[in-house]
Amino acid sequence: MNVNFAGCALCDSTWGNVWAEVEGERRFFCCELCLRQFRNLLARVKLETGWVHLDAVEIVGDRSGRTCTASCGSGTLRVRVAFNAEGTLRQFEPF
Amino acid sequence: MTKCPVCLRESEPSGFASLAKHLEAQADGSDSDHVRWLNQNVSRTKLGAPELTERLERFFDLKGAPLSEWIKRRFIARFYAEPAHPFVRALQHPSRATLLGYVVEHQHFLRQWVRSCAYIMARTDRPDVVLYELDNLNTEYGGTGATPAHYELLLRMGESLGVSREEILATAPLPATRAGIDGWNRIASTEPWPAALGAMHCLELIAHRDLVREGASSHYFDPGILQGTEISDAAKAFLREGYEADMGHAGQALALVERYAAELGVVPDVQAAVLRSIDLFDDYLIARLERGATFER
Repeated sequence: MNVNFAGCALCDSTWGNVWAEVEGERRFFCCELCLRQFRNLLARVKLETGWVHLDAVEIVGDRSGRTCTASCGSGTLRVRVAFNAEGTLRQFEPF
Repeated sequence: MTKCPVCLRESEPSGFASLAKHLEAQADGSDSDHVRWLNQNVSRTKLGAPELTERLERFFDLKGAPLSEWIKRRFIARFYAEPAHPFVRALQHPSRATLLGYVVEHQHFLRQWVRSCAYIMARTDRPDVVLYELDNLNTEYGGTGATPAHYELLLRMGESLGVSREEILATAPLPATRAGIDGWNRIASTEPWPAALGAMHCLELIAHRDLVREGASSHYFDPGILQGTEISDAAKAFLREGYEADMGHAGQALALVERYAAELGVVPDVQAAVLRSIDLFDDYLIARLERGATFER
């Protein structure tokens, strides 16, 4: 799965040192909170679309609100997302 | 004495090089709060110790301006930059759910507010600070004669939106509100009292009408909602009260903070406590939205 950030897969920060396997690949995250948010986001995308895997995820924005474009084959889902302080999705609005 | 704006640990030896070393160590350990602070206030890109030290020096430098201006600048940057904080955006023309999220979480905030201000009164020896806090507590919590307190107006707003006072008071706070309460309790009970004064009362800037003139991208809410029928009369009464009271409160408090921080030599403590309080408040405002969402279902 391709992501658009070279740093933390969720926020692009290069601080921190969390490595975890997500979607079959070892990925870098700046902290456990970003890892949790990323996993929650992917799980929700799969739940909403029925996709069993994702080809790419592109995230734009920051803590105050992000847009995410996820794709699988010819399918694309664009959503506005936001998380609470514990990393749970509090907003997930396809647009 | 430099102090970490996240865990409020004092740097040993004092100085920004020590603070940089501490932040670097915490980030290397992937501590979420420290990483977040660096991401939001310094840079998303990991910096070496010399550059981080230099950036921290610049960040905390008052640049010859009063401490109150530095506090306002930091507050505006977090809550009123473009785009404004999500809760502020939602409050411009609030839904019933947004207002109820405000009510349910804020009653917990105000109960902690009393404790925090009481700590400040207990720990200061300055009569002007005690008098200021007494006046603030009457406005926010106690009420004066025919004038209901902000707390009472908050509960009436909730009732006007169809949720009973009993239900509001019986609802436990969300985790971010709980974390805020614990954090503010700690600041008020353990930090130097001018730092506690700054940490608590800078939060009243949120409803400060003049912040727009100082660079805020919007008001706390569109003042137009105080006219017409967009929100209930009880909601108008609550929002109007905050709009009028917080302006004076924040200004007076920041003047006291400035005076006593300089006099007691605790400016760095104030800066660290204010920054910590801003982070807690940011999460707490999100909790209001999260609670509000439960009323949309």
